Amino acid sequence: MSNQKKRNFQIEAFKHRVVVDPKYADKTWQILERAIHQIYNQDASGLSFEELYRNAYNMVLHKFGEKLYTGFIATMTGHLKEKARLIEAAQGGAFLEELNKKWNEHNKALEMIRDILMYMDRTYIESTKKPHVHPMGLSLWRDNVVHSPRIHTRLLNTLLDLVYKERTGEVIDRGLVRNVTKMFMDLGESVYQDDFEKPFLEASSEFYKVESQEFIESCDCGDYLKKAEKRLTEEIDRVGHYLDAKSEDKITSVVEREMIANHMQRLVHMENSGLVNMLLNDKYEDLGRMYSLFRRVTNGLATVRDVMTSHLREMGKQLVTDPEKSKDPVEFVQRLLDERDKYDKIISTAFGNDKTFQNASNSSFEYFINLNTRSPEFISLFVDDKLRKGLKGIADVDVEVILDKVMMLFRYLQEKDVFEKYYKQHLAKRLLSGKTVSDDAEKSLIVKLKTECGYQFTSKLEGMFTDMKTSEDTMRGFYGSHPELSEGPTLTVQILTTGSWPTQPAVPCNLPAEVSVLCEKFRSYYLGTHTGRRLSWQTNMGTADIKAVFGKGQKHELNVSTFQMCVLMLFNNSDRLSYKEIEQATEIPAPELRRCLQSLACVKGKNVIKKEPMSKDIGEDDLFVVNDKFTSKFYKVKIGTVVAQKETEPEKQETRQRVEEDRKPQIEAAIVRIMKSRKILDHNNIIAEVTKQLQPRFLANPTEIKKRIESLIERDFLERDNTDRKLYRYLA
Amino acid sequence: SDSITSSTTDLFRSGPSKATSKEMDRIDHLFNQYANTSSNLIDPEGIEELCSNLEVPHTDIRILMLAWKMKAEKQGYFTQEEWTRGLKALRADTLSKLKKALPELEKEVRRQSNFADFYAYAFRYCLTEEKQKSIDIETICQLLDIVMGSTFRAQVDYFVEYLKIQNDYKVINMDQWMGFYRFCNEISFPEMTEYNPELAWPLVLDSFVEWISEKQA
Repeated sequence: MSNQKKRNFQIEAFKHRVVVDPKYADKTWQILERAIHQIYNQDASGLSFEELYRNAYNMVLHKFGEKLYTGFIATMTGHLKEKARLIEAAQGGAFLEELNKKWNEHNKALEMIRDILMYMDRTYIESTKKPHVHPMGLSLWRDNVVHSPRIHTRLLNTLLDLVYKERTGEVIDRGLVRNVTKMFMDLGESVYQDDFEKPFLEASSEFYKVESQEFIESCDCGDYLKKAEKRLTEEIDRVGHYLDAKSEDKITSVVEREMIANHMQRLVHMENSGLVNMLLNDKYEDLGRMYSLFRRVTNGLATVRDVMTSHLREMGKQLVTDPEKSKDPVEFVQRLLDERDKYDKIISTAFGNDKTFQNASNSSFEYFINLNTRSPEFISLFVDDKLRKGLKGIADVDVEVILDKVMMLFRYLQEKDVFEKYYKQHLAKRLLSGKTVSDDAEKSLIVKLKTECGYQFTSKLEGMFTDMKTSEDTMRGFYGSHPELSEGPTLTVQILTTGSWPTQPAVPCNLPAEVSVLCEKFRSYYLGTHTGRRLSWQTNMGTADIKAVFGKGQKHELNVSTFQMCVLMLFNNSDRLSYKEIEQATEIPAPELRRCLQSLACVKGKNVIKKEPMSKDIGEDDLFVVNDKFTSKFYKVKIGTVVAQKETEPEKQETRQRVEEDRKPQIEAAIVRIMKSRKILDHNNIIAEVTKQLQPRFLANPTEIKKRIESLIERDFLERDNTDRKLYRYLA
Repeated sequence: SDSITSSTTDLFRSGPSKATSKEMDRIDHLFNQYANTSSNLIDPEGIEELCSNLEVPHTDIRILMLAWKMKAEKQGYFTQEEWTRGLKALRADTLSKLKKALPELEKEVRRQSNFADFYAYAFRYCLTEEKQKSIDIETICQLLDIVMGSTFRAQVDYFVEYLKIQNDYKVINMDQWMGFYRFCNEISFPEMTEYNPELAWPLVLDSFVEWISEKQA
């Protein structure tokens, strides 16, 4: 690179002929100036581009760039001032048209002038850092036309007026407005913003402030929202037609603020038409509209959600705590299901399946379902009702639907262990009385419970089904080995494994001789095939079908409980029996005996025996005789025992106590599990962790947890830390 | 002065000193004075006699303190080992020395560092049966009165009243017993502003505090 010295070619710069004519610059500029005039006067057809370009080129070349530049500015300014005067002179609607026309002309002229002055643009302006011809032309237009005092405000007012007219229903020339706003944009974004957009937004804000105030005074919530939605679409539409796309967010946020955000509370709480009213009347469209509008503003959805939540909680609370409404458990649960369906539908159709709304609804249901301590019992009774008879004739698919819905409610229960207790009782009754309608439905529900709560929860329920199946086989075996028993009464025994079935104290009674002989035969058969087992008869749980012949030979088959059978069989040997005699002969405990006599003698249409004196209640001095005149349309007569479907208050207390007792070992086990792994833990954390561990089963009471901790301290599983009394230590 | 000369001669001897063995003899002698000859224990009767000789009622806290000093294990009985341990520590080999040692013993027990131990001991001392872990309410009330009555009068009175009217507890265990000690020492009474039921107090104290608050309201 450095040894270029050897041959040093040098190309000499082309030397221009020195201009001698002192008037050269003026003359040349005059030619160009004339051309600019002609261009502006739309008389450019005769001009030679080539000649003009050369002249401009030469001027720059001969260092007259400055003269050319200032000359072009001055000339253009003159023309624009003239145009401004013409625009100003235009009257009314013509004003905007004139402006638009002149703008178009200016643009065309500016293009031609720029082409002529191209060389200046590229060299002189480039080196002097002055504004280029085209932007200069735009600035000149801005300063001399758009910002001319008599155009500036008039233009803005005209535009705002047109927008106002359109908002109030008139049709305007959108194309013309679009051209003008586009002009602003061409002049620069800041011109568009300062000269149009900002005042436009302010005016819109004012407009919607007034309008929303008017609407809110005169419309109900639903109509208001319709109007707000319409306005919003209109504004978006307006941006599409004649505003810059960047204005869309700004104008929509004005509408949102003025029409929604500022009236949010009032809208939501509007009397007779607000959110609660919409919820109550299933106004899906209105709710959907509210959702889509409110989601646009800060805290909008939170407001909707809060009002929905507190309404739902209040409604639910009333539903579950109204003593009138919890009279019939099946209806009680049906109402809960209906409410759930309703809110499911609202959230899916109107609230776009919004997760936060689903959560709010779930937590509300959980809140109020647990306000009634009988909810677990009632839900189990509902299932019982459905699996007993309710589902008869319903397709399997629908059964699944109902069961799935019940499972939803089950999930809300905090005391799932209480449900389990009742479910077991109810299932046992269904199975033993042969009242279960569908084995498939039963098993399907157990599968659902298993998935929800695990194997432990359902293993005993499944054990009950196994027992039923095994009992059938055993009975076949028994009659197979005793063919002589085909005549006479038939005994069907269900062998229940202790532990799998709800514990019920066996209530012994004296069975009629015919039956007790059979029972003994079965006992020896069973114990002969199964060594090491014990059998005890749960006569309180059995049923019997007996054939009866009444006074005039009416024959009926009576379906009764084992206890009722014991009573009725006594009348084979005597016509008339006193309460005491029946009690002595059967040894049925008094409360059961009373109930059983009541259903035999006091239920109209089923009173196979008569009571003296006639009354609703059974007294110790009553006398009983066969009702010779008994009639029934049916050959088979089912005599139910008078039983309360819901638990009575003392029964409820007892179940409650059993549940509490069952919880103690579970809480202790949880404490020990936690302490075994943590070794040292403070009081609050133990409470929190135990509560969390037990949550799937029940909500542990902190006081009860504390009691269990103290009991574990007493039994040397735990000790308190010597210095920090909040801490417990695990003693391995 | 006799004992001083004896102890100087101690320095030149190996094995048990004459003086020590003399002291031991006297302690043994005193033990035998109260012990039941067939069981070789000072039994309740013996303790009663000891108390009357010391001119102290047998329910006096100082007798409990004496038991603590002896580390006596069984309520109402002192073994010879316990007796010797206690009296040696008190440097008392005669009845009159023992009597004079009692005020000093009380001072020692009331020292903060010893009192908690004494308080816990008092509970254990009342466990008379094999595997017994808790004490009936009535005994607890008497014990509280003896042990804490002079220092936390108001707390003891309220707690005793509460224990007598409530139905939830028939017995009190060690944890609950120590809880009450902690309560007296940590919680200002009767304002109880520092009391926070979430801070792992035994439940019986939660109920106690709730009961007082209701009473005050």
